[in-house]
Order: sequence, then C-alpha cells, then structure tokens
Amino acid sequence: MSKQFQFKLVLLGESAVGKSSLVLRFVKDQFDDYRESTIGAAFLTQTVTLEDQMTVKFEIWDTAGQERYKSLAPMYYRNANCAVVVYDITQSASLEKARTWIRELQRQADPSIVIALCGNKTDLSARRQVTEEEAKKYADEEGLMWGETSAKTGEGVSDIFMAIAKKLPLTAPSRAGTSRTAPGARAGVDLNKQSASVGQNDNCNC
Amino acid sequence: MHVSLLGVSQNLSSQLEFLHLQILSIVTASQLRRIFERRTNFDLRRLLDGTETFLHSMLDRLEFDLAMATSSLHCLRLDPMVRKRVADTLVPTSKVKDILYVILIARGRVVTLIRPKKHSIHPADIHILMNTVHNPSIFNSPAAASWIPICLPKFNPNGFVNAYISFLQRDNPEEPSSAPSPSSPQSSSSASVTDSDSGTALVCISGGADFDTIRSWCDGVTQKLTNEGTLKLLSDCVRSGQAEYTVSELGIPGLRHFVYKSRAQVQVTFPTFEDPYENLTDRRRIITFYQVLHDAIHAKSGQSETLKLQYIRTEKESVMGWITQPFEMYIALSPRLPKSAVVGAANAVSRWVKKEEGRLFLKDAPVF
Ligand SMILES: Nc1nc2c(ncn2[C@@H]2O[C@H](COP(=O)(O)OP(=O)(O)OP(=O)(O)O)[C@@H](O)[C@H]2O)c(=O)[nH]1
Ligand SMILES: [Mg+2]
Repeated sequence: MSKQFQFKLVLLGESAVGKSSLVLRFVKDQFDDYRESTIGAAFLTQTVTLEDQMTVKFEIWDTAGQERYKSLAPMYYRNANCAVVVYDITQSASLEKARTWIRELQRQADPSIVIALCGNKTDLSARRQVTEEEAKKYADEEGLMWGETSAKTGEGVSDIFMAIAKKLPLTAPSRAGTSRTAPGARAGVDLNKQSASVGQNDNCNC
Repeated sequence: MHVSLLGVSQNLSSQLEFLHLQILSIVTASQLRRIFERRTNFDLRRLLDGTETFLHSMLDRLEFDLAMATSSLHCLRLDPMVRKRVADTLVPTSKVKDILYVILIARGRVVTLIRPKKHSIHPADIHILMNTVHNPSIFNSPAAASWIPICLPKFNPNGFVNAYISFLQRDNPEEPSSAPSPSSPQSSSSASVTDSDSGTALVCISGGADFDTIRSWCDGVTQKLTNEGTLKLLSDCVRSGQAEYTVSELGIPGLRHFVYKSRAQVQVTFPTFEDPYENLTDRRRIITFYQVLHDAIHAKSGQSETLKLQYIRTEKESVMGWITQPFEMYIALSPRLPKSAVVGAANAVSRWVKKEEGRLFLKDAPVF
C-alpha cells in the first residue's frame, strides 16, 4: 500500500532571487527568462515519490518578495510544515535578507518547521558573491538544510525538495489540512463594520 | 497617456479618478494618508514598485473600456439558464465564513456575481478587480491560484480584503506566456483591450485571511462546474461567438454601433466594434463622441441645463446621446440618415435590448 503525505511549504526571500522560477522548475520543469514579479502569493502543488512507495504532496505558497508584502508572510508560514528561504548567490544582500527571514521563522513559526536555505542562480557563478562555505557554515550553525540550485538549468532543484520531503516526519499522518489558525493571523476586515459603506445608489443592482 | 481632445476636462478627471482608485487598491487610502502626513515629499514610486503594470493596463483600459466610461458593469451575453447554473454552483455554504463576493469572469466580463444580502458592489471596484485579475503577473502565472491583498476602494478605501483568483481556463494557450506585456496599446492597429482579457477566472473575495478554507471551497466548486458540464457549456458559448454580437444582428438600417446602459441595473451592453470602427483611429473618434454626449446629457460640461437628447452630425457619422429614466443610450449611424431616422433607430435599439435583456444583463443573481 502506498502512503500519501501532504505538507505545506512556503517560499520566502527577497524579490527577484528566483522563488517563482524555482517552483516553476520543480512543478513544471520549465524556466522563463522573463518572469513577472509575484503579487501577493501564488499557490501550486507538486507530488514527489520517495522510496518504499511513499508519496509526498507539497502544497506550495510562493510568496511575493517585494517589501510591500512583507507583513503578509506570517499568514503563509504560520501553517507551514516547511520553508524554503531563497537567496541569489550573485547578490550578497539577498543572503542578509534570507537571514532576516530565518530569524523571523525561528521566532514566529512552529518550532517543528523544517527550514531549508537555498542559494539560487548557480549558472551565474562567474558573478558569485556568496561562497558555498559562507552559506553552508551559517546553515550548519542554525541547524538548517542548505543547497544550491539553478532554476535556469534545473541543477539541484529537485534535490532540495526531495531532501525536504525526506526530512519531514513521515511517521504520523501530517497535520496539514487541519490548519491551526493562530490568533492574530487574521488580517482581514470586519464585515460588520462595512455596512455604512453599503447602499450607495450607484452600486450595481444585480 | 492618451487624453481625448474633446471633452477633456471631464474625461481627464474620470481617468485620473480611476488611476487614483487603482493606486488605492494597492496601497489603501489610510496608508497613503499616513505616508503623506509624515513625509509630504514621499516618493510614492517606492511603495508602488512593481505595480507599474497595473497602472499601464489601467491606462490602456481607460481609453477604450465602455463599461468604465459609463461606470457600469459589463456582463457576458449568455443563455440565462447557463448563467443560473453557474450562479447556483457558486453560492457559498454558510460554513465558509468571510466570503464577500464570488465572481466568475469570462473574456473580461462578468458571468455572474454572488454577494451577501447586505452588500452590493460598486462597478468601479469590479473594474479594479478586472484589471488586477488580468495583470500579467497573475494571468501569466503558472500557479493554480493567486491570493492577493487588495483594497476595493468603493467598498472600503481604508482596508484590504483578500482575493483568491484562479483561472479555470486560459483561452490563448498558443500565445507564449513568457512574453513581456506590451505596455504600449498603440503598437498594433487591430489590438483591442478585450484581447488581453481572455480566460475564465473564478474570483473569491474574502474579508478574512483563512486562505485554506477559501481555497478548498473554490477547488470544490470548480470541480463541480467541471464535472456537471457547466464550464463546458460556458466555454462553448464563448468559443462559438455567442457571447458577442454585432449591430447587424439588430437589423436596424444605418446603425453602426451603440452603447446601452440600463440605469436601474447599472449594467451596459454594446456590440463589437466593426467596420467602420475597426481601426483604432476611428474607434477613438467614436468613443470620444460618446464621451462628449455622455457629458452633455449628464450636465458635466458646465452647462446649466441637462439635455435629455443630444445629436451631433459630422461628415463621417451621426451620433446621438439620449437619457431616460430606465436607460442611457449612445448610438452611431450613417451621416446620411435624417434626424428622425436616428430617433427611430434609437427606439428600435431600446426595443431590441428589452427583448434580449435576459441574455444581456445579469438579473436575479443569488444573494446569500
Ligand atoms: N540566470 C538565472 N536567472 C534566474 C534563475 N532563477 C530566476 N532567474 C531570473 O531571475 C528573475 C527573477 O526571478 P523570479 O522567479 O521572478 O524571482 P522571485 O523571487 O519570484 O521574485 P518576486 O516574485 O518578486 O519575489 C527572473 O528574470 C528569472 O528569469 C536562475 O537560476 N538563473
Ligand atoms: Mg515570484
């Protein structure tokens, strides 16, 4: 009998490091040289098969890296089983940003969350600013998984997701799906407060 | 930015109003106020970084979108039975909290719109939403769905709601999705704004942040629409061209184009632009005329008295704007017709719309 596990994965990191490109490579094995910056967050799924017939279905939230969306991130990582924090190996500032995300996850996310640090764009290694040693050392200190990828060539992409799948607790059926909505996670409006703005006569009457 | 030379003041102010609303949808009024109170010389561009595409596409729309020009909703022409089937599937169960609106969009038009009893929706908010849904970042995304914070300024200018957007169908698979969005509408002479509005999208607006609940509900209804064949009925209708109509369908001699707005329903209908308005220059001219007429019958150009009927004749065409209790109408006809024939044609259009109403407009959409 094959067993299916389902996990929620969130991608975080500065804008343009290649989060959406990584997911596109992982889910569709494609790459676009031109990609629009993500608005809000995009949802995708991908299922991988491990040895012994076990399958892991990732429910992926690819978040927007633009500063404007920063405050929304907790919505996504609060219920996540794993997080991939991405930086661009040709931009050392993007590693700084990744460290900030990791600190936030360590403070605010579920303590059992599996965190992977991912250095993307290895095809541009001629312009490398972040060495493997530096990133690996940091990841080891913080107890994170670490890997380098190129969404463009595909190098390392499935490896990092497979490694995460293996690291996740595949013993009990995952809690994913029974979402624990943390208090304070609600960023919405109170519908009842809206009544005042309703009933304007130029509204659609349908 | 293209601003029509005639009727500049009114037209420009409504164009600026829409750009303002589009910015609000990204930043919210209260955020904007806070920023400018603190730093009056704040460069808004920093906050709007990456949203230029929204403003560009809004500008493109402003030039040609007749639903925006008449501040009304544009529905997809559809067999009322099909529309009802879609709507019945999309009524949220009481279990899904926080749902505000559920909207199905096809070809940039509203198929149906489901709302709570106590909330109606302002057409401007629909236009903002339409522009957002068709933004290349969302439309071209390979993702199954997007979840984005958005401020619907007429609903509440000071707060965000969340929009779950999922494309059930993208109509142009042969078009490369990786192509950068053209920001210049003038690039192709046959380009029309609605060309970029392809696809069928389910949009669910939620006042809450629980995207998992919304997502599984949307997945459920999408499956239902698919399994029960409703989606196929809808796409057959779109593909067969029934969702569009031409003036020839009305069989009114000399009639070239018209715009009819049902004032009670705040909805608009118009035929596709065809000869002699196929090319952009001629289309711009007729839309400018519509705007001039619109301003005249709404007393927006500073005149003291509103005109119920305004008639203009040039060597290229006769145009007439007419406002009555139930409707507002703008028609373009051959310049060779006498004015009496123009009035007759307007009456004939009104009769035709009345007869077709069930398919042209969204009526009795379920509320919850
Ligand atoms: N050479 C190279 N370019 C890449 C790679 N991954 C992404 N890119 C390019 O980097 C740019 C940004 O990629 P995105 O995937 O949009 O970045 P993102 O992190 O999703 O950005 P936001 O959505 O703004 O947060 C795009 O032009 C990609 O084509 C890679 O591995 N190698
Ligand atoms: Mg992205």
